[in-house]
Amino acid sequence: MSNSEHFANIMVQCFIDAVKAGVDLVPVVADSTSTSKIKPFVAEFPDRLVNVGIAEQVMVGTAAGLALSGKVAATCNAAPFLVSRSNEQVKVDVCYNNTNVKLFGLNSGASYGPLASTHHAIDDISTMRGFGNIQIFAPSCPIECKQIIEHAIREMGPVYIRMDGKALPELHDTDYRFVPGEPSLLRKGSKVAICALGSVVHEAVAAADSLIEAGLDVAVINVSSIRPLNRELLGNMLSGMPHVVTVEEHNINGGLGSIVAEVVAEQGLKSQLTRLGVADGNYAAAGDRPYTRKNLSIDSAGIALVCQNLMG
Amino acid sequence: MNPFQFSIDELEKKARSIRRKIIRLNAGSPAGGHTGADLSQVEIVTALYFRILNCAPDRTADDNRDIYIQSKGHAAGGYYCCLAEAGYFSPDWLPTYQHNDSHLPGHPVRQKTPGVELNTGALGHGLPVAVGMALAAKRDGSARKVFVLTGDGELAEGSNWEAALVAAHYQLDNLIVINDKNSLQLAGATQDIMKTDPLEDKWKAFGLNVTHCEGNDLSSVVNTLESLKAESSPNVVIANTVKGAGVSFIAGRPEWHHRVPKGDEVERALKELEDV
Repeated sequence: MSNSEHFANIMVQCFIDAVKAGVDLVPVVADSTSTSKIKPFVAEFPDRLVNVGIAEQVMVGTAAGLALSGKVAATCNAAPFLVSRSNEQVKVDVCYNNTNVKLFGLNSGASYGPLASTHHAIDDISTMRGFGNIQIFAPSCPIECKQIIEHAIREMGPVYIRMDGKALPELHDTDYRFVPGEPSLLRKGSKVAICALGSVVHEAVAAADSLIEAGLDVAVINVSSIRPLNRELLGNMLSGMPHVVTVEEHNINGGLGSIVAEVVAEQGLKSQLTRLGVADGNYAAAGDRPYTRKNLSIDSAGIALVCQNLMG
Repeated sequence: MNPFQFSIDELEKKARSIRRKIIRLNAGSPAGGHTGADLSQVEIVTALYFRILNCAPDRTADDNRDIYIQSKGHAAGGYYCCLAEAGYFSPDWLPTYQHNDSHLPGHPVRQKTPGVELNTGALGHGLPVAVGMALAAKRDGSARKVFVLTGDGELAEGSNWEAALVAAHYQLDNLIVINDKNSLQLAGATQDIMKTDPLEDKWKAFGLNVTHCEGNDLSSVVNTLESLKAESSPNVVIANTVKGAGVSFIAGRPEWHHRVPKGDEVERALKELEDV
């Protein structure tokens, strides 16, 4: 689509705008200058970027040190290496020390498709949820991505943003305003609620649109704010739904599927829950996006089929 | 400026006082302690807080203050005794070490204890964060120096060597890494468990300046720290120390890594640590 934008480009523009507005923001990369598409920032501010080489532990530790010295430090590298390689630095230097570090998990989920499981981040949400005091967001479209990043830069303290690796089109109109904690209702319906986050929200919307066109009654809820999350509001949105389907390019354990399961159980909802994503004990397949998503039934056709079957 | 600027004699007296506090603090701990590691670093932290560091209890938010990072976080007990002596909090807190809801937990927590700059305890975290602080100071044109104290067993953590590369690459000559080289770690001798020697060659190969000192001799520690040159390269001071230094029946004994004095050991140790 013509209005598609790559999230890394949005991130870099937000950085440029922030520094121009007087924010002492320092991006920290681990040889990930191309991954982060940071070149325009460097052209604008030649002496601001910190590149630590291929070394994720010191990337996060250095970011924490910069933040403790008054800077807004923003790490930008591939999500799989951030989440796994620097796990303890995120836990200790960023979360436990409560430093003003923004962690950008680039090319998250199975964005790197054929590069296989070393390059997939299907555990980032579950990992970050295990740490205290870090906000967690997963934008699905450009306007939401921009507003989440602006929120992250304004906020004091740790933030993780799950960034997809492909250009994505808009889902909202221009008067959309991101509210931390609030899930957004993208399609109204009363028989099945599809909850999704990140780039697969587009698959969920396409699935719902095909079902709605066929006369079926399906809702789509975008859960871009993982922490904070207004659980009561999400529960209200799900209340009365016979079926809830979660869709994520993430392990079904610890991510959105788990969050929705908690909300359904804790609020005593009667909905039957179906979790779509990387199944328990599995990895995402090594293949391109359509293949991987088809494999996991998180492409629009797969989601639509699951919903159809649920509605009998 | 350091508010104390103690002479060597005054520092030696202060070091003995800190050691006596370390013995009492560990004896009163309900959860063990790291008596050996607390004692090996006494001269290093005493020299820093009472002569070298440009920081003071009434300037903990000063952007230009020097930073000290206790990367060997398990020696929190020794660190607390020094901070209490330097006036960061009341010595009355020391008997609460490792008690429930204490301001003085088993590893340093900056949200709980005045003067603590970084939460540590997991090893290999101090140096990477110190690199970020030193880099920020350089870029801000600040005269701040960043000191980080590591153990020698801790140097098996790879994050230290990632940080060494970055420190040299960015020419962080405002960064001073002090290795408390007491040659013992949890399970025995560092050279048997994972050899770090020749340590000087390793740091040098990474592009850092290396100086040695006798880490339990205050003249040697002070002279070394005061003669470091900031000439484009970060400095490493390899401080040769004795784990448990200052108390004859603790010094050099690996079992005191996680032991605390009990019964008459307390009085015996305190007797050895009396001012002459």
